[in-house]
Amino acid sequence: MNKTLRISFALRNTYRVNSILFSLKQIPLLKKLLPNRLYQVHGLKVFANVLSVLWEIISVFLGKGLYFLIMIVGIGALYQKVPADRLFLHILLFLTSVGSFANTYMFNPTKDKYYAMILMRMNAREYTLVNYTYAILKVIVGFLPFSLLFGLAAGVPLPLCILIPFFVAGFKMTIALIQLTDYEKRGIIPNENKLSKYAWIGILVLLAAAYGLPALGITVPVSAAAVVMGIVIVLGIVSIWKIKTFSFYQEMNKEILRDSMNQMDKVKEVQKEQSNRLISGDTSIKSSRKGFEYLNELFMKRHQKILWKASKRVAFVSLILVLGALLLFYLAPEIRDKTNELILTYLPYFVFIMYAINRGTGFTNALFMNCDHSLLTYSFYKQPGFVLKLFQIRLREIIKVNLLPAAVIGGGLSMLLFASGGTDNPWNYAALIVSILCMSMFFSVHYLTIYYLLQPYNAGTEMKSGTYQIVLSVTYVVCFLFMRLRMSTLLFGALTIVFCVAYSVAACVLVYFLAPKTFRLRT
Amino acid sequence: MQFVIEHLSKHFEKKEVLRDVNFSFESGNIYGLLGRNGAGKTTLFNCLNRDLKADGGRFFLVENGGEREVLAEDIGYVLSTPTVPEFLTGREFLKFFMDINEKTIQNPKTIDEYFDFMSIEREDRDKLLKDYSHGMKNKMQMLVNIIANPNVLLLDEPLTSLDVVVAEEMKGLLRSLKKDRVTIFSTHIMDLALDLCDEIVLLNHGVLEVVDKANLDSEEFKDKIIQALKEEEHE
Repeated sequence: MNKTLRISFALRNTYRVNSILFSLKQIPLLKKLLPNRLYQVHGLKVFANVLSVLWEIISVFLGKGLYFLIMIVGIGALYQKVPADRLFLHILLFLTSVGSFANTYMFNPTKDKYYAMILMRMNAREYTLVNYTYAILKVIVGFLPFSLLFGLAAGVPLPLCILIPFFVAGFKMTIALIQLTDYEKRGIIPNENKLSKYAWIGILVLLAAAYGLPALGITVPVSAAAVVMGIVIVLGIVSIWKIKTFSFYQEMNKEILRDSMNQMDKVKEVQKEQSNRLISGDTSIKSSRKGFEYLNELFMKRHQKILWKASKRVAFVSLILVLGALLLFYLAPEIRDKTNELILTYLPYFVFIMYAINRGTGFTNALFMNCDHSLLTYSFYKQPGFVLKLFQIRLREIIKVNLLPAAVIGGGLSMLLFASGGTDNPWNYAALIVSILCMSMFFSVHYLTIYYLLQPYNAGTEMKSGTYQIVLSVTYVVCFLFMRLRMSTLLFGALTIVFCVAYSVAACVLVYFLAPKTFRLRT
Repeated sequence: MQFVIEHLSKHFEKKEVLRDVNFSFESGNIYGLLGRNGAGKTTLFNCLNRDLKADGGRFFLVENGGEREVLAEDIGYVLSTPTVPEFLTGREFLKFFMDINEKTIQNPKTIDEYFDFMSIEREDRDKLLKDYSHGMKNKMQMLVNIIANPNVLLLDEPLTSLDVVVAEEMKGLLRSLKKDRVTIFSTHIMDLALDLCDEIVLLNHGVLEVVDKANLDSEEFKDKIIQALKEEEHE
């Protein structure tokens, strides 16, 4: 028993440590400093080990703390009229019943289990029992401080606060008892990551009971909650016997892990299949062009689903929103002033919106997976003239795809500005339209440029460039921060236009000089 | 024509994969490139195809007594796992390829003639390449490389995963194509190398060396190759 626990710990720790080291090795600059044999370097290993153990300890408490803070106390604060102690126990009771079958450990196909029981062929029964015990202990230890802290604050009696962790653990074990017995009888095993239709309905009903009933003023009385908790704890103790004597852990785990086994061994194939599915099988798609225009036209037409259709959908939704706003102006004229003010100061917000609706990454992804991935292995495709020609064509296409929703949004905004009372300075209308169009163009250029300059994939379609990922995250953070910026629309619009045009020109110049060297498969 | 490599080297961090590669390949020959796992065969090909920047050294073509730089279109590279643009049909891929290379393709044939030449069935020609079988994708990749008519054809384990019929067709094809070009064929299968190749070249410890067949029979020749690969290991 002891040995099994030690081995499962060591195993989990090893791959955690290795993943930490692996991710360190992905960071640009740092990766140059780290030696290739970093998996042997003692100091680094110790460092990663410390991180890993810290994480194990934090993971015991962090999730539970947040759970209490957000799901119970946080949402609970919204109900003013219900007594705090009853509300606390009420929500806890129903959420615990959701967790009892949606978060079981026993029926969760995890990587740990796959490594231990399938790859390392550890004894399934022993592994499950030891790790299940550990998981349940973690639940009890993790819950106790928070049930005391938040429970007492809500006015729940101390004995009940102490019983809460055992109630949660007991509930999970009771459900395990039921499901293990069911497996013996019918051979059906629930997979916690693929819940059945009924389980989802159950979750919805229980959530509705947890948060809906208190809104109607109905909560479970404290005494009733205490009785339920007591019964569940007793049932939990009874289930220990079943869990200990159950004799089909081997078969059961094989079944639970079957799908994840396939996934782990076939990540690439699954990925490939997914990108293949994006290709339209419509045989009527033809092109009468020549050369790269021919290639491009077929590519665009066969990838309608993720390019034009998505962009048309966004444009359509934006149009509906604009019309809806106009209708609101008509129905409730008092919101006009407020809207007018918003439009004249909240343009920076649209950086993030334009970021969110841009199809750039989807486009470059599809370009690589379904086109460049294969064609880059042919030397004719890498001739500098051809690389640049195709870049121009693609730039034109991606700008076109993104321009449609941008035009609707830009036009819609200035229409709203007009309908909400207009502005003294007519330049504002132009600034709105042109700056939104420029933002859209900027993102199109940005994504295609970093794709051409950093081409991040290797022939096996694995992402190999940390720099590329960092550039993407920085893009996100910067766009996100723009939401906090308040600036007059005219000024911000003008700055945006200047920046976007300058950036696009600079990017194209860079591509022109560098892409023939950088646009190739990573090795 | 000759394809010459001089002092080519490449290392990954501290590991020297290619140390000092020197070789002169003669056109008209198929060279069997043998080496143990991890010897650097693919790295060598990647450097020659300029997918990977070599640390030092150079390679060039010698034509009519003069040296000239190797251009992208001089090299054809067939990978062990065939890669073709999945969103095109076989016919569209060929049309695109011929369109953009129309200036360099000599005596172009019609697309169907090329398909006939590769024995790709009529009903498959207008299917999306994503629905092609492994062998058919391989044929397409080979076909494109053949039409491009490169001076140097690099083949990385191209026959290993093909069924016997296709593999035999491919062998015949390679033999018929070896005239006027350098073909370098990397493989782990000794019998295939002996059967198909005119010269056997070993890549071991970062250098290339030819194994002289002299007047050995094939069993003795095999022993010699194995010995050469083993001995190097003990150095």
